[in-house]
Formats: sequence, C-alpha cells, structure tokens
Amino acid sequence: MPKTYKDLAGDGGSNIVGQVTEQLARLQARMQPIRNKVAVVSGKGGVGKSAITVNLATAVAMEGAAVGILDADLNGPSIAKMTGVRGQRPMITAEGVQPVKGPAELRIMSMDLLLPHDETPVTWQATTPTDAYVWRSSMEGTALREFLSDTIWGALDWLFLDLPPGTDRIATLADILPGLTGIILVTIPSEVSYLVVRKSLALARNLKIPMLGLIENMAGYDCQYCQTVGELFKPGEGSQLACDFGIRFLGEIPFDPRLARSGDSGIPFVAVHQDTTTGRTFQAMARELWAAIGLEPEGHIESGKP
Amino acid sequence: MKFLCLACDEGMKLETASGPRDGSLEATFVCPRCRYRVAMLTNPWETQLVQTLGVKVGGRAAPASPYEQVLGSLARPESEAEGSAGHELTSAGCPFAGMLGQAEQTEPLAGVLWTDAAKVRIERIPSFIRPMVQRAIERYALEQGHHLITDAIMDEARSRLGM
Repeated sequence: MPKTYKDLAGDGGSNIVGQVTEQLARLQARMQPIRNKVAVVSGKGGVGKSAITVNLATAVAMEGAAVGILDADLNGPSIAKMTGVRGQRPMITAEGVQPVKGPAELRIMSMDLLLPHDETPVTWQATTPTDAYVWRSSMEGTALREFLSDTIWGALDWLFLDLPPGTDRIATLADILPGLTGIILVTIPSEVSYLVVRKSLALARNLKIPMLGLIENMAGYDCQYCQTVGELFKPGEGSQLACDFGIRFLGEIPFDPRLARSGDSGIPFVAVHQDTTTGRTFQAMARELWAAIGLEPEGHIESGKP
Repeated sequence: MKFLCLACDEGMKLETASGPRDGSLEATFVCPRCRYRVAMLTNPWETQLVQTLGVKVGGRAAPASPYEQVLGSLARPESEAEGSAGHELTSAGCPFAGMLGQAEQTEPLAGVLWTDAAKVRIERIPSFIRPMVQRAIERYALEQGHHLITDAIMDEARSRLGM
C-alpha cells in the first residue's frame, strides 16, 4: 500500500499555510494601531448607508479623532465622490499604499481611486468573461483583505468600513477581519427594510459580532424653512426594532435635500451644516458611538498623525 | 497537492515553479531518491483558483507587493493595460481634484477677488473645510464668468453646489 497524502510531510513545497499565515500577520500588524474597526451595513440597498458613513465619520473626526474610511463597496464605490477626493491617486510605496486625505483629515481608500475612468466597471481577469463572475466573490474577499492590510492607515481611533448591501457581506467581513469592533446597521422606515435588517441582526448575532447600534435614515422630512420635521414615510419604528434586539438606537436622520446634494458636491453635510437638525443629529450620533464602546471622545489619537 | 514516486514510495520535492503562462502554472517535482521528474501543468480554472487565494505555487521568494491582487487582477481594456504598469495613475476630472493636496493654501485663484463681506463669510467656515469650500466657490464663479466673489455669488454657489 503506497503512502497517502497525510504520510507525506509538508504541503508539496508551496508552503501555502505559511503564505496564508503571512497574509494574516500583515493584516493584524496593520490593524493593530487602529482602535475601533466598525462596519456600516444594511441588508437592503438605497438606504443612504454611504452618506451616513461619510457624515458620521466626519462628525467623529470633527471631535478631533483620527478617522479613516474604507469603501468596501468595490462595485459601487461612492465614498471618494462624497468626500471630494475623486480623481486623486493614492501613492503606492514598498511599505503600502497611502490613503488620500479627505475633509476633516479623513484617510480614505476606495476602489474608485484606482479605476482609470468613470465608466470603468470592476471586473476581474479570468479565462472568459463568464468565469470572471464565477470568481467575483472570492476576488472581492481578497481585494478587501488587501485594502485593509496594504493601506498605510497609521494610528486611527476609528476605521469605518462602508459595506455594500447584502446580509452575506457581514459574514465575509467577519471572516477577513476577526478584530472587528462591531457593526452599525442602517435602515429606513419601511417594512421591507426592517425585514432585511432583522436578517442582518440575526446573522450578526449568530456570528457573535458586536452590534454597536441601529440608525434609521429618512425618518421624516426636515424642512429647512420652518425648522420642523414632518412625516415622510410611516412613523419610524427603528427605536422599537433596536429595543426588540436589545441593541443601542443611535438615532434617526430626517430627510434633508441638502444632505443628498452634499454627497454630490463632495463636502460632507455635517461639516458645513452643524447647526441644522440633521447636522446636530450626526454630532449626537458620534457621541453615542463613543458611548457604545464605553469611551468618551477624549484621549483620542492626534488627527493626521500617521 | 503532493506527488508520490510510486517506484520509491517517496514524496517528491518541488523543484521549480513558474507562470502563469497562457493560463497555466508550471511546477516540476523530483523524487529525492531516484531523481525521477514530473511536471504539473494547471488548467486555467486551477490557475484562477490559486490566483484568487493570493498565494503562489512554489512559495514566495519575496513578500507580496501592496495591492498585488487588486492591481494584478483587475481586468482592463487592452488600450489601458500598457499604461498601468507604473504606480502613478492618471487623474480623472473631478472638480475638487487637487484641492485637498493644497489644503493649506488659501490664496485666491488667479483672476479672482473677494469682497470684504465675502471674506468675512468664508472665514466663518471651519478651518479644516475652508480651503475646499473656497476653491469650490472660486471655480464655480470662474465657470460662470464672475471674477469678484460677492455675497450673492456665494449664495448662488452654495445653492448650486449643495453646500
């Protein structure tokens, strides 16, 4: 009886385990100086997750914290546009890739910064175009790992990851980033959105991922003329949903047309509209976020210091 | 994947590894006892699997370069592939491109003047965002054919640019 696979020492000479271990070590070393790694997720698309990521990150940075944003939506990147850094090109060095600097000293990395043209879709090399889609999920996982481990984030108080919609993304990220501090769920006041958010909450719970809180977006209409918030969809039940799952309700963001326009202009809303209902809500959420991890927004890493 | 020399009942050792070439990885293995050699040639799907994992058959001689998989695996039109070898990527036409690099620079753009009232208003904007807003307003004004930034131009720019 000839020897079997297990009888032969080693792995055939490629040291795959060693290579994967090295990948993990690189990731851990890069993540080590980052105090809090937070994923912003929604089960459903179109709930304003990226706009909330940008403004929440800016609000936290305005308190003096060192903050980064990784646009983990590889196929529909929008963070670069929303922070006005689109068109800049990250510098690639032997040590890694420098994130570009955005407003409030945000350190930003996005697939959008690597694509040559506006129309360029994210497709991966493969034997045939059909095969490229077969491998898409695996390649995206690899790309996300590289964005985390090869970007020179430096010391950060917060790294926000703007995930693409989809409940499954939570599992993928948890697999890639074991040190995830927690997730923030974004919903809108609709039964459809609540339904999907419940799935995300249940999955996060199964994976034992800490849930930092729930944000309800488009909760009412913020009239900039009379300074009141009127009804837009049905009255929000986000706080009740958070209560049902025993998680913190970080707050509700009313619909404000200026918020939508700020995404197009590349200047975060909260940076220039601090004294509006929505602006104040973002700042309150930033404080809630500190509270969610049991810290105060003081003793932060000096912003801009790598 | 391992190879066994049946004649010697001995695990073969990796000798060389190369590729991918034409969608195939090549690796040769040798029996340490009888020196019998075989070559392993992967099909394109096996090659893709290895690449997707971000590992190298035969091991790594040097650490992975930054964004190795992202930059090496993004499919690009032929016309762009040539220019992607360098690390300096060309800039797209974002209206705010370059502003952040000039964050400390708050001198007005050439050909633009600010009224005193407009200067007071711009000074009220938080310092970390001010250069960016200033540039956006100046570029907007120039695009509209204005060379003097007034309160009215600022209001117009804020409204049109969503600031």
